[in-house]
Amino acid sequence: MMTELQSASDKLDNKAEDKLVLEDKDGVICNNTASEYLIGIKGDLNQAERLVSDAANNLVCNFRYISKLTGSHHEMVLAIERMVTPEERHSINELLEKQMLIANRIEQELEAVITSLQFGDLVAQLLAHTARQVEMLSDELRGIDRQGSLQGKAEKRALNSTHSSINKAVNEVKNKGKKKPVVQQGMKMGDIELF
Amino acid sequence: MAKTILAVDDSASIRQMVAFTLKGAGYEVIEAVDGQDAFDKASHYQVNLILTDINMPRMDGLKLLELLRKLAQYKNIPILILTTESGDEMKAKGRAAGATGWLVKPFDPKRLLEVIGKVIS
Repeated sequence: MMTELQSASDKLDNKAEDKLVLEDKDGVICNNTASEYLIGIKGDLNQAERLVSDAANNLVCNFRYISKLTGSHHEMVLAIERMVTPEERHSINELLEKQMLIANRIEQELEAVITSLQFGDLVAQLLAHTARQVEMLSDELRGIDRQGSLQGKAEKRALNSTHSSINKAVNEVKNKGKKKPVVQQGMKMGDIELF
Repeated sequence: MAKTILAVDDSASIRQMVAFTLKGAGYEVIEAVDGQDAFDKASHYQVNLILTDINMPRMDGLKLLELLRKLAQYKNIPILILTTESGDEMKAKGRAAGATGWLVKPFDPKRLLEVIGKVIS
């Protein structure tokens, strides 16, 4: 009877060991899941950074073109002014002055645009910084797994509990999260589909 | 003869904005995409002023500053930092490395030209 009891107890202990090993494996998967989830977030941040940079570069090209046109417009107004005969001067000069005023206003606005257009660099740096932090957090989670494999039973149990909480939190966020709303990698015009 | 400025930034849009502003004011502009590129170009061409970002791949702005200040031809050439960084610690590092001035992005074209006009002479 005692032998049977001992045997049963051993089996239970073995089962508990098996469970612990299984939980450890779950734990490793849990942190890998969390880590992969964070890597996904990092990917989204990198995508956002590419979109912002792309948009900023496009805007800079547009800006340069507008600026070039403004310069041409300015020169054209001066050329017309030179061609005007003394008889026409009074009526045309008034129009040309208005044109020059508009050109000057456009140039002033373009100067202000130079400051605003730098948003791309600022946002890109901020996104890169956040992505680095997410990556560090992901590395830390993997580090906890590695540490866990070296610890004793009590620590493993505590770690399993933590893993379980992290797992639950990640899965909840994943389940609540909707499908990724932006898949574009650049600021080219989107596809058009007619039905 | 127009003075030459080396504009260093890994952001293409910032380089273009800087170049646009400086060329509009009559300067010649050489662009570099990071510290290493800037160091190579500064070694090939003699420029009158360097305007550099801090956070860049391969070689950052502070390292570039240190290396340039070791070259005889760049000991007294103004080197301005144009960066998003505005912390005192970073500024102190820049100053210690030999920066002439520190401009925080985003820059205003008029103010940038004023500062450059002051230090380039």
